[in-house]
Amino acid sequence: MADDFKRRDLFRLTAGGLLVAGLGKAETPVFFTKDEYAAVDELMETIIPTDDHSPGAKAAGCAAYVDRQLAESFGDKEKHEWREGLKLLEARCQKKFDKNIAGITPHQRIELLEEVSKDEEHPKGPEEKFFNVLKGATAFAYYSSTIGIHKEINYKGNVYLQEFVGTAL
Amino acid sequence: MEHSHEPMANVDFNTVYDAIVVGSGAAGGMATYVLAKHGLKVLLLEAGKKQDLTKELHSMQWPYDHPRRGEMPQSDHALNFNEYTFRKSPYAKGMNYNHVYSYVQNWGGSDYSKNIVVDEKDNPYSGTSYAWVRARLLGGKTAIWGRLALRLSDYDFKAASRDGFGMDWPISYKDIEPYYDKVDLFLGISGHKENLPWLPDSIFQRELKLNPADMLLRESLKKMDRTLTPYRAGVTTDGLKHNHYRSRCFGRGACNRHVGGCDIHAAFDSPTGVIYPAMDTGNVTLRTNATVYEVTVDPNTGKASGVSFIDSETKRTYKAKSKIVVLGASTLESARLLLLSKSRQHPNGLANSSNHVGHNFCEHIMGPGITGLVKDLVGKPRTLDDGHPGGFYVPRFRNLKTKNPKFIRGYGFEGGSGCTMIPGNAMSTPGFGAARKKKVRDEAGAFIDMGAFGEVLPRYENYVEIDPNIKDRWGIPVLKFNYKFGPNEKAMAKDMADSAQEMFEEAGIEIVSLNREILTEGWSIHELGTSRMGNDPKTSVLNQFQQAHDVPNLLVVDGSSHVNASCQNPTWTIMALAWRSCDHIADKLKKGEV
Ligand SMILES: Cc1cc2nc3c(=O)[nH]c(=O)nc-3n(C[C@H](O)[C@H](O)[C@H](O)COP(=O)(O)OP(=O)(O)OC[C@H]3O[C@@H](n4cnc5c(N)ncnc54)[C@H](O)[C@@H]3O)c2cc1C
Ligand code: SF4
Repeated sequence: MADDFKRRDLFRLTAGGLLVAGLGKAETPVFFTKDEYAAVDELMETIIPTDDHSPGAKAAGCAAYVDRQLAESFGDKEKHEWREGLKLLEARCQKKFDKNIAGITPHQRIELLEEVSKDEEHPKGPEEKFFNVLKGATAFAYYSSTIGIHKEINYKGNVYLQEFVGTAL
Repeated sequence: MEHSHEPMANVDFNTVYDAIVVGSGAAGGMATYVLAKHGLKVLLLEAGKKQDLTKELHSMQWPYDHPRRGEMPQSDHALNFNEYTFRKSPYAKGMNYNHVYSYVQNWGGSDYSKNIVVDEKDNPYSGTSYAWVRARLLGGKTAIWGRLALRLSDYDFKAASRDGFGMDWPISYKDIEPYYDKVDLFLGISGHKENLPWLPDSIFQRELKLNPADMLLRESLKKMDRTLTPYRAGVTTDGLKHNHYRSRCFGRGACNRHVGGCDIHAAFDSPTGVIYPAMDTGNVTLRTNATVYEVTVDPNTGKASGVSFIDSETKRTYKAKSKIVVLGASTLESARLLLLSKSRQHPNGLANSSNHVGHNFCEHIMGPGITGLVKDLVGKPRTLDDGHPGGFYVPRFRNLKTKNPKFIRGYGFEGGSGCTMIPGNAMSTPGFGAARKKKVRDEAGAFIDMGAFGEVLPRYENYVEIDPNIKDRWGIPVLKFNYKFGPNEKAMAKDMADSAQEMFEEAGIEIVSLNREILTEGWSIHELGTSRMGNDPKTSVLNQFQQAHDVPNLLVVDGSSHVNASCQNPTWTIMALAWRSCDHIADKLKKGEV
């Protein structure tokens, strides 16, 4: 049973992982500009980084997913929200570090995001609001990905069970 | 013998059927089955299409295998809580989306039920705020229902005698008990015996198991003389020898994702559970895309003579004739149909000499709920926690042995715990970065939550009527709501939150969030009571066999017949009552007494 699990997980990971990697690296972004894409990719990795447990947002193809969603289905409001939000963050980054988001160090990106996420529950101003949008999209894209579900969370369900699991009364 | 289950476009309109059944959900489906089994020739008319549920539901699809991870296109929209309160109905009016759906579409994975729930643009309604969820397809709302299958007891049927509010039902538990048994055995139900007089046990198949957090709460509640029992699921967990359209449950948990629905039909749905078996008798003619807009009456006798319907696609109209007419279009749609069916003999609408049709409208109040964290479970190795068709149920404990000074009646909680496919805390945990990532992972399996469903009192002044100014896509006048929660509900809702807090504290569960806000009217999707049963034709619409007092060959077998809402979910009772009434009318027909 346990081995069966592992084998199936491994299969899923390779199949899904290749697909996502393909989208993220080889293909050019469809909604974002190249620069925007690079920034989003790094910001998302800052929000959900690779650690010793599992790969992060970059490997999970989060930016590619959001790029495709924005191009294909999000409304004009969302498109505008992302474009403008990214512009503001880039401007803040230039002012603070004299470089763009993709050009600063991971630690500097943490500093940058800390500045715009002081009170997530009551975001003030367009940058803090955009942080919530960015974070929400990152979390959804990551935790619904193959890496998020199978590696990070290591979710065990969505399988056929002969017997229920848990404590019988 | 197996017969075709395909709908027919060309129904024989010269035949006088024994019965016309309107609607194919829990109520109409069960009525069709029972009448057909009695050898009666039944014409079943359903407004929606027959959908291939396996294709629609994609129960086992992983989010990353769906192009939008289960979300519907941005060109479509699902109403949310705020929109039901801040916008005015008809809710889709002036919205630029291709389709506007009810809030259930927001339950992660809305792309899977877009062909199941109705488009508000085609199906408007007006009046006070109400979140009205409708499913127009063969099987109605049973395609996506939550499956919590509970019995009512004399605490409900005789509630008026206990606390003086409203009216007793014209039946008691012993009248309906044999029919609950029949429904249990025919459809299959999972649960654990608790011997509670206010929540009678069913004849259960294999029961669900509990997660560690559930067990913790169960043990703690015992000390408070309260019960936590495994979800009583309208699901066949052992399989059914007499029904090969339905598999046994394999604990895939899919029915708790994508809005719900089980593509192997272990969870009850009306097509595989009752309609195909009914069609296999050879006695049923099924016509889908048939929206009934009037019950016709014989101008001489004033009795029902059949129905008029419009083809939902071609918009052609037809008339069909029958000896009896059985309405199972759902609580509000059946009331609408009665009110629309005006004639010389029934100027107020059919079966409405009492002026009670559309009134005493009741349901369940929702909103208050709680989420907690079990500290001992944080950081534990991952386990499989959601391989079941439901978590747990905490039955009513108020106004049973003692009297609460602030409100009458009661409420129960539905809940669950453990790790789900996309854990809730993955979205809600504050912060970002490596520490947050670890926190999400460590805590993903340690949460437990529950939300309350409380009885809304049946009050005459809560009602629906016809809005002559607004029509649906087919030109049929729509319903106008005049419905509000009252002081009893609000006092009860406050107690729901207080008691939830007390129970979690008592169990040593850290409270992460406590919601005290009431959700919009309608949220429970348990609308009931618009044509109540009773012994007095002056104050009720139907007799104890769901026959209209005014029109003995007309039955209304859905939740509109319920005299009060209880706090237990209604569907199992709807089916038990429909069975009982259809046995009764079939007997009368055979004896020539209708
Ligand atoms: C998401 C969800 C979760 C739920 N969870 C639970 C639960 O856990 N437990 C529980 O007990 N209940 C639950 N319910 C409620 C349950 O689904 C209903 O109580 C049950 O389906 C009611 O059966 P019905 O036959 O009266 O109505 P429906 O199932 O709605 O069926 C009515 C049918 O009539 C058809 N119809 C309507 N008007 C016309 C017309 N004019 N002409 C022809 N046909 C017409 C409709 O298209 C539909 O197919 C839930 C519902 C939903 C949507
Ligand atoms: S858990 Fe059971 S009822 Fe739910 S989808 Fe799986 S098989 Fe169907």
